[in-house]
Amino acid sequence: MQRLRPGPVVAVGTIAFLALLVPLFGLDNPLHMDIAHRLAQPTLAHPLGQDAYGRDVLARLLWGARVSLAVASSSSALACLVGTALGLAGGFLRGPVEFLALRGMDVVLCFPPLLLALLVVTLLGPGAPTLIPLLAVLYLPGFVRVVYAGVLSVRTQDYVEAMRSLGAGRLRIMLGTILPNVGGPVLVQFSIAAASAVVLESGLSFLGLGVVPPAPSWGLMIGEARATMMQAPLLLLWPCLALSVTILALNALCDALRDAVDPHGITRRRRHGGLLDRLAPGLLPAPGAALELAGLTIAIDTPSGPIHPVRDVSLRVMPHETLALVGESGSGKSLTGLATMGLLPPIARVAGGAAWIEGRDVLRLDEAALRRLRGATVAMIFQDPLSSLNPVQRIATQIGEAVQAHARSPAKATWRRAVELLRHVGIPDPERRAHNFPHEMSGGMRQRAMIAMAIANQPRLLIADEPTTALDVTIQAQVLELLAALRRESGMALIFITHSLPVVAEIADRVAVMYAGEIVEQGRVAEVFARPLHPYTAALLASVPREDGSLAEAIPGTVPPPYALPPGCAFAPRCRFARADCSSGTLALTEVMAERLTRCRRWSDLA
Amino acid sequence: MLFVLKRIGVSVLLVWVVATIVFLAIRMVPGDPATILLSQGGVAPDPAAVAQLRIQLGLNQPLGMQYVADMHRLLVGDLGQSLQDQTPVAGEILRRLPRTLELIGAAAVLAVLLGLPAGLLAAIRRGGAFDRIASWLAAVALAVPIFVVGTLMVAIFAQGLHWAPAGGYVSFARHPLRHLELLAMPAATIAIGLAAILFRMTRAAVLDVSMRDYIRTARAKGVAPRRILARHVLRNALMPIVTVLALNLGSLLGGTVLVEYVFNWPGLSGLLVDAVNARDYPEVQGVVLVISVLFVALNLVVDLLYALLDPRVRHG
Repeated sequence: MQRLRPGPVVAVGTIAFLALLVPLFGLDNPLHMDIAHRLAQPTLAHPLGQDAYGRDVLARLLWGARVSLAVASSSSALACLVGTALGLAGGFLRGPVEFLALRGMDVVLCFPPLLLALLVVTLLGPGAPTLIPLLAVLYLPGFVRVVYAGVLSVRTQDYVEAMRSLGAGRLRIMLGTILPNVGGPVLVQFSIAAASAVVLESGLSFLGLGVVPPAPSWGLMIGEARATMMQAPLLLLWPCLALSVTILALNALCDALRDAVDPHGITRRRRHGGLLDRLAPGLLPAPGAALELAGLTIAIDTPSGPIHPVRDVSLRVMPHETLALVGESGSGKSLTGLATMGLLPPIARVAGGAAWIEGRDVLRLDEAALRRLRGATVAMIFQDPLSSLNPVQRIATQIGEAVQAHARSPAKATWRRAVELLRHVGIPDPERRAHNFPHEMSGGMRQRAMIAMAIANQPRLLIADEPTTALDVTIQAQVLELLAALRRESGMALIFITHSLPVVAEIADRVAVMYAGEIVEQGRVAEVFARPLHPYTAALLASVPREDGSLAEAIPGTVPPPYALPPGCAFAPRCRFARADCSSGTLALTEVMAERLTRCRRWSDLA
Repeated sequence: MLFVLKRIGVSVLLVWVVATIVFLAIRMVPGDPATILLSQGGVAPDPAAVAQLRIQLGLNQPLGMQYVADMHRLLVGDLGQSLQDQTPVAGEILRRLPRTLELIGAAAVLAVLLGLPAGLLAAIRRGGAFDRIASWLAAVALAVPIFVVGTLMVAIFAQGLHWAPAGGYVSFARHPLRHLELLAMPAATIAIGLAAILFRMTRAAVLDVSMRDYIRTARAKGVAPRRILARHVLRNALMPIVTVLALNLGSLLGGTVLVEYVFNWPGLSGLLVDAVNARDYPEVQGVVLVISVLFVALNLVVDLLYALLDPRVRHG
């Protein structure tokens, strides 16, 4: 759980505290009438004046808080207990219990809340004893669903299965492992129920169907003050204000709890802030390169300062060439690709370096110029073709959009061009397939469609971000084949981001190995594979499953996260060759042989 | 097609369950409904009158028989007679239902016109001045209960400034202008809360969709931002927004009670409150049933609309 914002907690706490301590304030009896002083102006004894029956308004207001909060909290607590029990039972016992628990809640949801309340009040009469169980029933479905969903997601997890096989009783599993896991969402649900119980209670009381007069309740007070609205408008104002402020505080608490339980969406946004902070290296790009990266560094701002998931990445890709960018997940290879497209997620920013595409530094282009570049000069295909395609648009429409984004093209011609592109990437029966939605295609077909989209405008550079990871092996081979063929016929440069060394061997001319945000080795594929000059590359090669069935060697330890990088060489803690001096100073990527670069002090000892 | 039939089947089943529950609820109440009905001011009712009422309500028959008779009557659209004036309940409901629907419809149009563009703008300029002010206003609007909004509106615009009548109803046919004048305040009262909900939902949905992979794909294609917003973001964000709108319209069907009460709008909910106060069981049963059926029907429409908006659902 994240940290809870204190403001709403303090506000709700203060209101609850006031309500609890009302009897100690020595206020007037809120029921004591004094008809002689009806609608009297405020005095020292009655700071907010007196109402239509001469009762003290301040006393009624504070006692009203007590009634409201008591009804709200007891009904939410009841709903929470029963709902949690039902959700647990339904999710864990399954079968008829599950059916009854879930369908029962559907029935409750069939009635608009206030309607159900009115029906029950008709039958049982108004008053708190009716109100509390009634509100509890209304808020049951929320709890049941949250707990049930929690159980479902936990039930299948390994540790629950493990406990079960160890012979732990069902009840113990339920209480011990599942409850703590659904605690956060249940708490959120509780605050939502309490807030809406206050609203509903006051509404019913306002109609005279909730709390029974003369007991003080904000809803009742508002209802009564309507009659004397002209003579004493303040009588109306105070309970309205008290009620609204209480609900505001409760709602804020709901939001704060929700944020604390579910940290999604609390992202800090800073665009291109430090873009020009660090000057680009004073080099000019090599003439003719399709892409040249020089010292690319990416930063993500966190509350405890910026972290750098990509540092000092320099590489060059020539036309007709395929460069593989290899690394484990978290090595920064995808971020590097996205930065080149100007498509970094909002939390990340370029903190330094340059990326030249055809002589222009794309890291310093404005969004409009970038847009003209993207999809035309440089295109990208992504890992998961299903989530990367718009689910509600036909495939040819999405391909056509890439065409239309860069050239005026009438609708019919665009559609024909899309069909032609589909045929080009080897999709059978493209005229019919063009009408498909993404979910109607197979994974391999979708990736082919993505590729068709990317090559629509004959880009000079294609960045493929793990395009075959989500596919099975046969389809994977076909997609690699297709990419290689497309590259041969068009002469575009290809950057292939992957974690699979066999794929690298198959498709790439050169390879750049990334580790913890840095390039640690670069060179021609055949040479690097034959004689790695960095211990990490060597370890990666050794960890590839062998065809002869002998055991592959796993690399000990894990990749350090960008917020906890070791000093000196980032790989040193996992390295067989590490010496004491590996863990200090800075290491540069150095060209130690012709076209062979490594970031290791002991490269010569490796062979 | 199968999907549509299945959904309709589920809805019919739900309506039947609701009718059964309402039937049982009235019979399972502690004490005899006829006795409770005739007990005024703590005086024990005349046994002869109670017996007669029991016959009129059919309470003297076995529960099973009552149930069959009740369901049969409902099937042919007979909701029974009001205990207050012996008029058919169905007729009174038909007379008042359009007024409630008009109120909700007007409020929904206002809320959509206000909440949708505001939510969109806030999402586009996330963290900006408009976003912060509008988010704050929405939080306040959500915190003030609907009857408080209504009451304060009456106090300010009717009693204080004399801009609008405090409440009442005139049919459109008789006096179109006056009708709209009377409609304005209750509709605005409902619209404020609804617009706040729509604002939040639109903002959240647009932000959520903007983070999706396919938006990144569209950007990678070089599609212009305006087109990305219209063709990719809005289109996909519309689904959750439509759901939220429809669900809220559904609860408004029952929730207009308070607004109709504050503004003296003679709609369906007012009938319900009167019936509750008079313990007029047939009338309460009738109104609750009709509203529930509308609620279920609305949910059905949402599901079908969903299928229209999202091609993936059609096969589900």
